[in-house]
Amino acid sequence: MNPISFFRLLLEANARMLQRRIVSLRQQSWLMVSVIVTFVAGYWIGAYIVFHIGFVKLAGWPGLGTILLDRMLYLFFAFLFLMLVFSNMIIGYSSLFKSTETQWMLTLPVRHVDVFSWKLAETTILASWAFLFLSAPLMLAYGSARQVGWWFYLKVFLLFLPFIIIPAALGSLVIMVVTRYLHRRVFKWMLFGSGAIALVLAVVLVKPMESARLQEAALDQLLHNSRVALKPVLPSYWVAAGVIAWSERLDWRGTFFFLVLLSNALMATLVCVSASGHIFYSGWSHNQSQGRFQPGLPVFARPITLARIAFLDRVFDFLPGMHSTTRALAIKDIRTFWRDTSQWSQFVIFFGLLGLHVLNMRSIAYDWGNVFWAAFISFLNLGAISMTLATLTTRFVYPQFSLEGKRLWIVGMTPYGLKRVLLQKFWLSSFVSVVITLSLTLISSWMRREPGWLTLLLAATVVLMSFSLCGIAVGTGALFPNFGSGSTANRRDDNPAKIVSGFGGTFCFVLSLAYIILIIGAEALPFYFYLPWVKGPANAYSWAVIGSWVFVSIISLVATSVPMSLALKRVESLEL
Amino acid sequence: MIETEHLTKQFGPLTAVNDLNLRIEQGEFFAFLGPNAAGKTTTIKLLAGLLRPTSGRAIIGGYDIQQEPTRARRLISYVPDLPFLYDKLQPMEFMLLVGQLYGMTRADVLRASQGLFDLLDLDEARHHLIETLSHGTRQRVAIASALLHNPKVIIIDEPMVGLDPRSVRVVKDMLKARARAGVTVFLSTHILHVAEELADRIGILNRGRLIAIGTMGELREASGELGALEDAFLALTREEQREEAAESA
Repeated sequence: MNPISFFRLLLEANARMLQRRIVSLRQQSWLMVSVIVTFVAGYWIGAYIVFHIGFVKLAGWPGLGTILLDRMLYLFFAFLFLMLVFSNMIIGYSSLFKSTETQWMLTLPVRHVDVFSWKLAETTILASWAFLFLSAPLMLAYGSARQVGWWFYLKVFLLFLPFIIIPAALGSLVIMVVTRYLHRRVFKWMLFGSGAIALVLAVVLVKPMESARLQEAALDQLLHNSRVALKPVLPSYWVAAGVIAWSERLDWRGTFFFLVLLSNALMATLVCVSASGHIFYSGWSHNQSQGRFQPGLPVFARPITLARIAFLDRVFDFLPGMHSTTRALAIKDIRTFWRDTSQWSQFVIFFGLLGLHVLNMRSIAYDWGNVFWAAFISFLNLGAISMTLATLTTRFVYPQFSLEGKRLWIVGMTPYGLKRVLLQKFWLSSFVSVVITLSLTLISSWMRREPGWLTLLLAATVVLMSFSLCGIAVGTGALFPNFGSGSTANRRDDNPAKIVSGFGGTFCFVLSLAYIILIIGAEALPFYFYLPWVKGPANAYSWAVIGSWVFVSIISLVATSVPMSLALKRVESLEL
Repeated sequence: MIETEHLTKQFGPLTAVNDLNLRIEQGEFFAFLGPNAAGKTTTIKLLAGLLRPTSGRAIIGGYDIQQEPTRARRLISYVPDLPFLYDKLQPMEFMLLVGQLYGMTRADVLRASQGLFDLLDLDEARHHLIETLSHGTRQRVAIASALLHNPKVIIIDEPMVGLDPRSVRVVKDMLKARARAGVTVFLSTHILHVAEELADRIGILNRGRLIAIGTMGELREASGELGALEDAFLALTREEQREEAAESA
């Protein structure tokens, strides 16, 4: 079969399936669809306003406005490029080497290289659409700050097409080589090792600035550190330079960078597809042949003994009073997580991003005499941590109940029932979330030498938020389970990313974000009275703090208990 | 039609398939038996070209599956134990996709599908989304799609699991009829009476090694058991285990 017919047939089938997925939205609750649509529209409008204000302020900076504006764009595309490479690697691994669809395609009378090409296209779309969707308000704001015409957005869209292909080809190539030549356990330890080294280097190299030189130093440092994004060999440089040129109506220069991107995208695709002819199938076969691994290194050659298996059990011995069922389920969840490549690789990336963020916060110092400014930065930090936590809980906690799938009956049939499963997942995920977020908050507070009262406030908030976000994720996970399709015997949807991408996952994320906005908004509000131009009663601040904390406690209690109670009620009547 | 020459597959230190030499003729119904983890599915994946052998080769219809995969796969239909289907398609849409991927015209697919749907009792399911079908019905859709392009070789892994007795009967009859029409059927199963009833020859694999191959009569003779296939199977695998234990001692 020629590749064109192969792609056409698959395209037709996928278009039909996409249409059915969209139509099936009608079966969802009207209220939920409205909430999601409103939130997405809200994000676009809110992000556009924030970016627009930021760009206009930057553009107005005396003497440096244009440089700063352009530098922001170079930096943005450099990070976007990096994220796209990671995203393509993660999705590419699942799509190329773990998917049953790929296995099916490899039995068809088509060339391996055609299967790879189709999967590369699929990976590119899956890995890139969200980034483009999220960055659209930024481009709109940039265009508006630069006062461009509508044609600018059309050209930028054209510029983005070759731009997303390059990281896709690069990410797929890397993952193909890694899968072909490395065992996944070796890769796992390499990834953790690199993460640890990067963390140590970051701690050693990132230095806080002196507050006296804050503004000048921040500007100098920004311009100095962002020089890396100005390397003309980077695809992010070409796309940023193209956008800037077209915004300045330098059509030939913009077209030049478009052609540079296009030729490199074509070359990258050619290299990637050609390499796939040699290593994709052997990588697939290698990946399928990794059931048992003994490469000769003593650490891997150790036989799995009862002592090794019992390690986790011994850890849980330190938690007396835990019910044996809860303990068994918790140990099972931890083991399953650790052994699932698609789970931990994404977890490491999320955690790495959080760590980087916290380290970056260290380089911001300020005058603690200005309480409003200090609180503003701290709440921004809290916002970043809680947003990442919401992503973590949606990605890892929400699918937990669905992942049990056909195995649910094992616990469902025991005298303890599904309620205990749900509660165990809530407590375990809350515990892990509290450990992560509380550590990061305390570390970042300590690094920024925050006053004790602010540290205490932030610490209490992240603990509350951890419980609430886990309550939302576990609750919505049980209320909108995705057990895969068909009868119980057919429940084979073991891909957590696929479970999350459904309607329930989106709803969970939207609810989590709404909760975060409410909490941070309520806590930040009392600091309004510290603005120099605000004149209120003498004890206004104290009352506002008390009021906000009552509000935060009530909202957190509701956010935790309502989804959990509904879910507990739901699992009572769940037909397995 | 199916030939393996010193076919070997290792997963690290474990040899899943060990020096397998097979020759299965056109129109032969061959059943592949073995205890759990004997290497049956690995052998099937090697024959279907899903795994690259550590050494040796598999030849389908004269084509080496590794050297000329596209030509070899044109002759094969492979039905795994848990087949892949697009959940958001209807069975007829899936048949159209598969048929056209094998180069059939729409009209040919529709004609052939009708016959298969009648035979496999899939008429009622044809306009339902696959995601709503039961396991048995999905299995029948997978089998129908595998037979659509009139393959010369059918490689099928545990096809009877999850099927109701009527469907088992239909699938058995269909596979037997295909074999009579000159199609080579390579069936892997744990259900011994299915092998006994259908197969022209039976191969028994144990720990990656082919420990016996032949007709029912030949297997009875080799095992010294004159009863059902079950007795011969148990005797042969037990003897193999005893030999291995003696060797390792």
